Amino acid sequence: MTARSLNSTALKQQERMEQWTLLGLAIPAIFVILLVVIIPVGWLFYLSFIGDNGQFTLEHYQKMVEYKSYYRVFLNTFKVSILTTLICIVIGYPMAYFLAQLPARWAGFFMLAVLLPFWTSLLVRTYAWLVLLQRKGILNEFAMDIGLWEKPVKLVHNLTGTLIGMAHIMLPFLVLPLYNAMKKIDRDLMQASANLGASPAKSFWQIYFPLSLPGMVAGSLIVFVLCLGFYVTPAVLGGGRVVMVATQITSILENQFNWGAASSLGVVLLIATVLVLIIAGRVFKLDTALFGKG
Amino acid sequence: MPTDSALPIYINGLTKKYGELFALDAVDLNIRSGEFLTLLGPSGSGKTTLLMAIAGFNRPDAGSIQFGDTEMILTPPHKRDVGMVFQSYALFPHMTVAQNIAFPLKLRKVTEAERHQRVEEALETVQLGGLGHRHIDQLSGGQRQRVALARAFVFKPRILLMDEPLSALDKKLRERMQIELKQLHRQLGVTTVYVTHDQREALTMSDRIAVISDGKLAQVDTPQTIYNHPANGFVADFIGESTILPLNNDSSGQLSFNGQHVQSQPADATHRDWSLVIRPERLYLSEMSDAPGRHNATDTPLALDGIVKENVFQGETAFVLVTIDGGHEVSVRFGTGSMSQAGHLQPGDVVTVYLNRSDAIVIPTGDH
Amino acid sequence: MRLVLVASVLAIASGAASAEPITVVSWGGSYGAAQDAALFNDASKNSGIEIIRESGASMSKTCLQVQSGSVTWDLVVTGSGGSAAAAADGCLEKIDYSVVDVSDFYPNTYTDYCVGSDVFATVMAWNTEKFGEPGSDGAPQSWADFWDVEKFPGTRAYRANNVDGALEPALMADGVPAEEVYEVLSTREGMERAINKIRELKPHIAVFWDSGAMQAQLMKDNEVDMTTGWNGRFDNAKKDGATVGYSFDQALLDYDCFAMPKGAPNKDVAMKFLAEVSKAEYQANLPFHITYGPTNKKAYEVTTAPKELIEALPSHPNNVPMMLPVSLDWYAANRKEALELYMEMLSE
Repeated sequence: MTARSLNSTALKQQERMEQWTLLGLAIPAIFVILLVVIIPVGWLFYLSFIGDNGQFTLEHYQKMVEYKSYYRVFLNTFKVSILTTLICIVIGYPMAYFLAQLPARWAGFFMLAVLLPFWTSLLVRTYAWLVLLQRKGILNEFAMDIGLWEKPVKLVHNLTGTLIGMAHIMLPFLVLPLYNAMKKIDRDLMQASANLGASPAKSFWQIYFPLSLPGMVAGSLIVFVLCLGFYVTPAVLGGGRVVMVATQITSILENQFNWGAASSLGVVLLIATVLVLIIAGRVFKLDTALFGKG
Repeated sequence: MPTDSALPIYINGLTKKYGELFALDAVDLNIRSGEFLTLLGPSGSGKTTLLMAIAGFNRPDAGSIQFGDTEMILTPPHKRDVGMVFQSYALFPHMTVAQNIAFPLKLRKVTEAERHQRVEEALETVQLGGLGHRHIDQLSGGQRQRVALARAFVFKPRILLMDEPLSALDKKLRERMQIELKQLHRQLGVTTVYVTHDQREALTMSDRIAVISDGKLAQVDTPQTIYNHPANGFVADFIGESTILPLNNDSSGQLSFNGQHVQSQPADATHRDWSLVIRPERLYLSEMSDAPGRHNATDTPLALDGIVKENVFQGETAFVLVTIDGGHEVSVRFGTGSMSQAGHLQPGDVVTVYLNRSDAIVIPTGDH
Repeated sequence: MRLVLVASVLAIASGAASAEPITVVSWGGSYGAAQDAALFNDASKNSGIEIIRESGASMSKTCLQVQSGSVTWDLVVTGSGGSAAAAADGCLEKIDYSVVDVSDFYPNTYTDYCVGSDVFATVMAWNTEKFGEPGSDGAPQSWADFWDVEKFPGTRAYRANNVDGALEPALMADGVPAEEVYEVLSTREGMERAINKIRELKPHIAVFWDSGAMQAQLMKDNEVDMTTGWNGRFDNAKKDGATVGYSFDQALLDYDCFAMPKGAPNKDVAMKFLAEVSKAEYQANLPFHITYGPTNKKAYEVTTAPKELIEALPSHPNNVPMMLPVSLDWYAANRKEALELYMEMLSE
């Protein structure tokens, strides 16, 4: 035994033991993921290829090609999701910026206001919008009282109402990661930019905005992906005119008991969502956006 | 030295209050064209506030800041055209080294070809040639510091501000950068205002040092004058090592310590109480055969008897703490060369500490 | 919510105590409550059969139970169309009509797989402030009026997500006599004719409803001026102060029923309970709790309900002739295709 191998076997063994212990800690998580993700998704895939007679079939997917309604529903789902995301950005960016500029104490207070919606049931918030926006709703009555418009404006049971409700519910999902990213921007950078001769507008667009972009991308993706699967708000505020994939799936289950057809829609939506994430990942270097510099 | 590229800075009555506290209390300071002036003071003294006021990042309550003949007090920072190196470097993390340095040039609509050339030159100047394509997170601390520097001077500002730019570097690198900055300043000839709390750094680099304390300037002068003739106790204490001893003032204005005459009270004095400032390296012990000026014919040194309390070895120098008669403690610093005998002193040894009267610094007491 | 009704004393007395309680599933809200009050409680007491009451009845859940081989429900409330579809998918037991006596039932209120529990109508309802009280001069009278946006200007509501009761009104509005509706609908061209008619009205359809609660809410809130819907919901809305009226003219006569999941755990006992609950004496009490009519004719003879209430019921002999009975045969044969076409039109 040379001087360089003293205790080396025991030390290596100890290292291996530690690695096994670490793996052991991950077992419950792996188990949960298997149980709540892998198995259900696998089952979903399986069901989507099973016909009424229990045999393998492609009919559910063929139907999606055959009937334009599926194509339109997917298109509509993406349209509503993109619009909601854009509205969230337009409202959420200045909001997060405002919060990020506040001293910590005030930021905490306003953050509570941002998070307040999280404490109220989704259904309650959605119906609250219905009460506000409908034909004889508070907003229309008020606007007509003060002479803003003469006849009730159609604010709900359509795309407008759906977008208002969804943006309201989704806003915190955008503001939180964005605020987080903005808080990490060193104030010195803005001073440096000004010092080097950039006007406040130029400083914002060339320094602040690019640095807040990862937070915005992360927040937008969260909002977008959540929107893709959204059910309650479009169902209530869309008035049946805003058909999204989730509504369609429920309808197929409730009215046709067709698990295969419903599953096939779920599979296509899942694949579309994953594709969006992969593309966004390529374009925006998502790993950095979501997890910071590794 | 291209003097046309430098501007003097005239600061008058600059006042900034935070609540009840004066961060700057009617500061008057003239910074000469092309000089390297260091704002030196402890944290909270107002030195950074002053620098930020020059850069335009805070709004003073009153006062005037002129660059040459131009009043700048109301000018927003992006129109002041001063270069600045931040303590945090403030490099833009989403840009490469070259993009960072080109940023101020782009804003000034410099053509791409010239921009490229000037970025390369600046990189050469800070010895980072060929690293333009690197991302900021691929650089070491010292390299980042150089990029920040290059970015601050690449657009040929006539004033360069630096806010503790070396504080994040390790000691060796910091000392090398001090010399490099000094050389760079000489090369660029730009008026430079440098903020630090490190008195050694200030002494090393500055043409002049402005010592600042509690929002007021304590002394503005060359490093030598500041060190050898501190204007008051604060400066004496803050700059270099020092032992401050109270002096006895007899009715005729003669100042003495432990019964030994030091010097006469300055003629224009309005003060009664005076203190003696002793620099440790100016003291010598009976054991030191190499002590300079030990037996100066025209000047009998002050002789203070005492007992060695501690002998501390620090590499190139060492110091002995001696408790002298009357209970005061003085520190005697000496080189550790083979000639030195003081290294053998043990605690408890009886020694005599000498100070040439020409090395005695007398300052008014209480103006701390 | 599970509610175990223990009728032990009576059960022992009648000597018909069963080993296992049966599970009876209905819908929540006033509908289930009305059934408890009129049917289930008394039937359980009198038969000595213990029942466990659950809410959330749904044919899709029933089929899921059957297909996954874990059936826990014994009797499930469903719409007639839903039961036909579920039966076609093989999810339901055949009803044993040697046990369940339907000799006094109206025709077409029971099938091989389902026994009618109450009769309702899909009607057109309107804001009476705008278009007048039912029967008054100028009030809407037919589906043609529902489609006539010049004579009756205003917004409409129509069914979302589900084709049940959606195509028939369109054909009647297009001039097809009630008795020929299902014949015309039996071809693809007929279905498309109905779909096109709805497409024509679509710009005026402000909202598509997907529940009875929503029908009532839309009228209560004045969100639309005219809608299709289930008559009982509008009576409730009226009780709550809504200015709503409806007519049985050209309405679709339909019924809810009890079905038994295939492989129900207590099939025999459940069949006995179904026989008990279908008796006229229980159905006679239903009108007190909800304005849906009995499927058992004899209920009209034994009920103590006041005359006006009885005459307002959809299955009252005076009202039935005005209506088109829903054809389960047509739904069994064509529902899937019709639903695809309807959804296609909705998604445009």
